[in-house]
Amino acid sequence: MKQKRKLMPYLYSVPAFILIALVIVFPILYTAYISVTNMNLYHWLDYEIIGLDNYVRALTKVDSGFLTALLTTLTWTVLNMVIQMVTAYFIALGLNREGLKGRRIYKTLLMVPWAMPAYVSILLWRVGIYNTEFGLLNKILVAFGFPKQDFLATNVPAFISCMVLNLWMALPFMITMIDGALQSIDKSCYESAKLEGAGFWAKNIHITIPAIKGIIAPSVIMTTFTTFKQFDIVYLLTMQKGAHSGATLQTVITYAHQNAFVSNNYGLSSAVSIILFFLIMIFSIFTNRGVKEESYE
Amino acid sequence: MKRKVSLFLCGVLAMGCLAGCGSDTPTENTQSVEITGSTEMATKNDAGTSDEVVEIKIWHDGDESIMQIIADCANEQLAADSIHVTFEKKSDMPDKLRMFGTDEVNGPDMYMYAHDTLGSFAELGILAPITDVIEEDVLTDMIPMTVEAGNYKDTQYLMPVYYETLLFIYNKDLWEGEVPSTTDKLYDYMVAHTDVNAGIYAVVNQHSNSYNVAPFIHGFGGYIIDKDVNPGLNTAEMIEAVTYNQKFAALQADGDYNTVTALFNEGKAAAIIGGPWLISGIKEAGINFGVKSLSDFTLPNGNALAPYSGVQSIGVLKYAAENKKESIKKVLNAITSPEVGIALANQSGCAPANSKAYEDADVAANEIIMAMEKTTKTALPMPNIPEMSVMWGPAESLLTAVNKSGEDVETAAEKYQQEALTAIADMQ
Repeated sequence: MKQKRKLMPYLYSVPAFILIALVIVFPILYTAYISVTNMNLYHWLDYEIIGLDNYVRALTKVDSGFLTALLTTLTWTVLNMVIQMVTAYFIALGLNREGLKGRRIYKTLLMVPWAMPAYVSILLWRVGIYNTEFGLLNKILVAFGFPKQDFLATNVPAFISCMVLNLWMALPFMITMIDGALQSIDKSCYESAKLEGAGFWAKNIHITIPAIKGIIAPSVIMTTFTTFKQFDIVYLLTMQKGAHSGATLQTVITYAHQNAFVSNNYGLSSAVSIILFFLIMIFSIFTNRGVKEESYE
Repeated sequence: MKRKVSLFLCGVLAMGCLAGCGSDTPTENTQSVEITGSTEMATKNDAGTSDEVVEIKIWHDGDESIMQIIADCANEQLAADSIHVTFEKKSDMPDKLRMFGTDEVNGPDMYMYAHDTLGSFAELGILAPITDVIEEDVLTDMIPMTVEAGNYKDTQYLMPVYYETLLFIYNKDLWEGEVPSTTDKLYDYMVAHTDVNAGIYAVVNQHSNSYNVAPFIHGFGGYIIDKDVNPGLNTAEMIEAVTYNQKFAALQADGDYNTVTALFNEGKAAAIIGGPWLISGIKEAGINFGVKSLSDFTLPNGNALAPYSGVQSIGVLKYAAENKKESIKKVLNAITSPEVGIALANQSGCAPANSKAYEDADVAANEIIMAMEKTTKTALPMPNIPEMSVMWGPAESLLTAVNKSGEDVETAAEKYQQEALTAIADMQ
């Protein structure tokens, strides 16, 4: 009976395990298999195992282009996360201010960027905000007598443009998470602090931030991953096929895409995918360990 | 009770997981839209008796109304032979054909698509040479450029159906005087009639898209990639062409497809260099437009502009050529007949590949089609070698670097030539 009880949870989980094996594990294993073959356009049906050649080729691609892309990705991730956290925190504080009227309307409006499909948002921004002829920014510039600017033509303005759009798209999630965390703080803490003469900053630093840190940690990790492997914004704003903007910005993912996935060389592309998979796994292990240590403290 | 319900749900979930593993139905679970002709018929194969109908399945990724015209016309001609053609639309058709190109049960008998993917299909070994099915003299009625488009490594794999190429389209209400016949005079007109800050343009073009700049590149004797797989981004001719195009680009907005199309359709640009796919939008916008063949413009070196052309062609899968040879032959003859060409031209504005279709009075009176036909004299079919698929990126990067980021032409040409060589090497 005891034995049976031990087995039951596994039995109930079998369908889920099968599903995970089919949807997640099998594609990874199959990609790993393809990565050690010479499968490409010229060896489509007659491909064979060639060992680790594709990995050697993929790793020798770690040239200056890759390092620049890695640096850009790290800068992109850090800047986005810092600005996102700070902005979302203060907006969430504002939404929780006592006596604020129309709170629900603001919260609903803030959800709009999140509710829109990313592809649509990005293309709308490309045409509606950054475009030289029809974009809002250039309309304003021309109205004030300045010449038109192509914000996506060179790297620094393009990086900032991509970042502003990323913030617009990502803020609703972070605001929602911080807003939810703020609701859970016992209001009596603030009353006590007030009686002891604590001001706005003291209350935030000593009560609010420590109280919400543990709650929002998983959201921060998730957003960090999403930001690190961001592809859509950079690709669609600056390097979409047939609509290159002129900027040569590359993140790790766009670099991998450009160097491996447009070649129809499935062996090489798979090797790059597996390397990226392991990079993200390592990144994930470190961040999870960080979270665990924090929760034990 | 709870346990039973849980077990039942587990069972349903497990069955759901495995449901897709069955293979007894010939249909596949990808999105497809089927176009059959007006004739209703039963099925089966080529070796069948006279009252059995041979079903020929053609995959495409194009305009369904165009395929409907072809299906109706072809099925009418094939009814007496008990052959029935069905067009099935497949999104991402090239990828699907790679997957199903050797699968006789689930794959198509033929496919219809732009010719530039030919090399990759031929290298996969899934196509039969068209001359295995039809006599070569059938091709003599076709416009030579369209035949060349379907030839890969000296083997004819494709039968052309219709083609597209770039045109000079102008707004008759905005254009002042005659459209010039030299590119230098065109540039002078642009300088005199463009006000960038006011958003008023004389001529717009996707100036950093290699397809749209190809007329200049070829006119100067350059090439993006040649038949021997040599990229030509750093050749002297290419540098000359890119430098010449650069001054036009400065007067053509940002060159983005959406921008230039909107500028022309909103009456803010007097002319646009674009393909026939723009025409429906231009008509909807109520523009009083005229067209001129790009072959009518000459460069300072005396050569005419020579754009690329994309030829919508039909190819035959190996297994279909082996098992349904006679039927395939009749289908090819029907689809590429002058009748289908005339129907395509008159009902859909497509330029037929069959030169006999141009003998029809209505076709000959169609200004757009005749401008495209004239352009075939100088137009080049897009390269159909597989390596071309990795050339669009570096070629476009070169143009954007020069036109939008202000990089030096020669430095950028060298940089992107190296990028092109790496991309080609990565394919192997």
